[in-house]
Amino acid sequence: MQSIDAIKPIKIHVLPAGPNPWKPVLILEELGLPYSLNFISFEDVKKKPFTDINPNGRAPAIEDPNTDLTLWESGAIIQYIISQYDTNHILSYPSYALKETHLCNQWLAFQISGQGPYFGQAAWFNVLHPEKLPSAIARYNAELKRILSVLDGALEGRQWLVGDKMTFADLAFTVWNDRIEDLILCEKEKKFEGFPNVQAWHERMTSRPAWKKAMEKREKLMDEHGLLPNGMPKGFKSHGEFHASVEAKRKAEAAEVKE
Amino acid sequence: MASEEPSIVLYTTQTPNGIKISITLEELGLPYKVQKIDISKNTQKEQWFLDINPNGRIPALTDTFTDGKTINLFESGSIMQYLVAQYDKDYKISFPPGTREFYEMNNWIFFLNAGVGPMQGQANHFTRYAPEHIEYGVNRYQNETRRLYGVLDKHLSSKNIPYLVGDKCTIADIAHWGWIASAGWAGIEINDFPALKAWEDRMAERPGVEKGRHVPDRHGIKDLLKDKEKMEKHAAENRAWVQAGMKDDAEKHKGKK
Ligand SMILES: N[C@@H](CCC(=O)N[C@@H](CS)C(=O)NCC(=O)O)C(=O)O
Ligand SMILES: N[C@@H](CCC(=O)N[C@@H](CS)C(=O)NCC(=O)O)C(=O)O
Repeated sequence: MQSIDAIKPIKIHVLPAGPNPWKPVLILEELGLPYSLNFISFEDVKKKPFTDINPNGRAPAIEDPNTDLTLWESGAIIQYIISQYDTNHILSYPSYALKETHLCNQWLAFQISGQGPYFGQAAWFNVLHPEKLPSAIARYNAELKRILSVLDGALEGRQWLVGDKMTFADLAFTVWNDRIEDLILCEKEKKFEGFPNVQAWHERMTSRPAWKKAMEKREKLMDEHGLLPNGMPKGFKSHGEFHASVEAKRKAEAAEVKE
Repeated sequence: MASEEPSIVLYTTQTPNGIKISITLEELGLPYKVQKIDISKNTQKEQWFLDINPNGRIPALTDTFTDGKTINLFESGSIMQYLVAQYDKDYKISFPPGTREFYEMNNWIFFLNAGVGPMQGQANHFTRYAPEHIEYGVNRYQNETRRLYGVLDKHLSSKNIPYLVGDKCTIADIAHWGWIASAGWAGIEINDFPALKAWEDRMAERPGVEKGRHVPDRHGIKDLLKDKEKMEKHAAENRAWVQAGMKDDAEKHKGKK
């Protein structure tokens, strides 16, 4: 096995306001692996040169100089980091524990295709979209609760999703769960109301040094780039105002290209 | 051997997410039993099924595991990864773990499961099933689906490759096929994406795809899309269960008191 000192820092591209980039960062922190953060702005993420790294124009993406691999999609990145670097199985099970291995992947798949997209849509209709559409808000708020209830049921009588230790599957859920109050605009203390198992599980993970370190890095990076902790650039009054300005800039640029 | 019961049971419905798994099983030539789940009757919310998949969605799969006990799996992406890890020893539709191609394959599976599936699913919702017509919702999700189709189209055409990870059809392609084949249902014109359309046709010629797509019922989406009247009837039937399901979910999952 490679010694940690011999590993060159993994470059990870982050759009710091978004939750998804911090999933792999948290995993890297928990494993104590070296990495460097590269800031991508909201304006640059859908443009070259970043789209040469991720044709889907989304963060995160990684470039690993140790293997010369470029990869995007947070779930695929997490599986890669685990299989390549978690050789001591700090956050995973050894491959001979086949059942646990596959169950970890199952919960990760649920995170990326269940929690992520639906929590994201809840945020869109509650916060970002200027017009209030009650039936769309109700749809995604209900889905958010449904997903919390699936997790709460799975955690009944246990500490972790798979077996008796914390794995990457547990950690993958933290970043979205941590900001529920900003997604559906509820009180912070009430975000897990009715889901005590989820709350205790979430706090077990966010009280760890790795989580705190990752979030400190996030705040620092945001601050350096003039962003408030909620993702809004300093100087804008609302997300709506900010998005309108980005949209206007994009249109102006597109018009320039055409001329 | 031949008389033995297959150890794999697939719980499924005729939907894009369901046929991913039956196509994977056919491509691998594995024996399996099918148990049809009637989502219009909310069978997926019955306790025996929730014991297999607490998320109450199809597909789910059970298998006799190497330790002789049953393993329950859900989430189409992880089921596909499981099937190739356990059974694709000759790498017919996958790549050896640890190779660059292996990670790229997984990259596209996540792209489908976190991107195309949920977004095209929302486009279906606002285009066909929503309780009221919200033009904004229709546009938002159709546009995002089109953007994602554009990423696929450009990837295939600029690299001039027949499949998503090069020359070999893998589970990454299989994951996409059912969704791309039903583009029209979400209001997306597939002919706007010529490389993707050519890929769809290429996939359709594979015997495994042809066999697997008709599980548990005939794959009727192509015929449906040709017939406006049938389309409206089908949408109305689905609208009823989607809306009933949404109401039910909202009631049930408010959280513990
Ligand atoms: N991310 C899941 C999505 C599964 C899914 O959306 N299944 C639908 C059918 S295509 C379902 O079972 N819906 C039933 C319901 O919502 O009650 C996967 O890939 O397996
Ligand atoms: N409860 C779902 C029922 C509809 C459903 O399950 N649709 C499936 C397709 S059959 C879907 O959109 N899946 C999204 C995905 O696969 O991520 C809803 O209200 O949207």
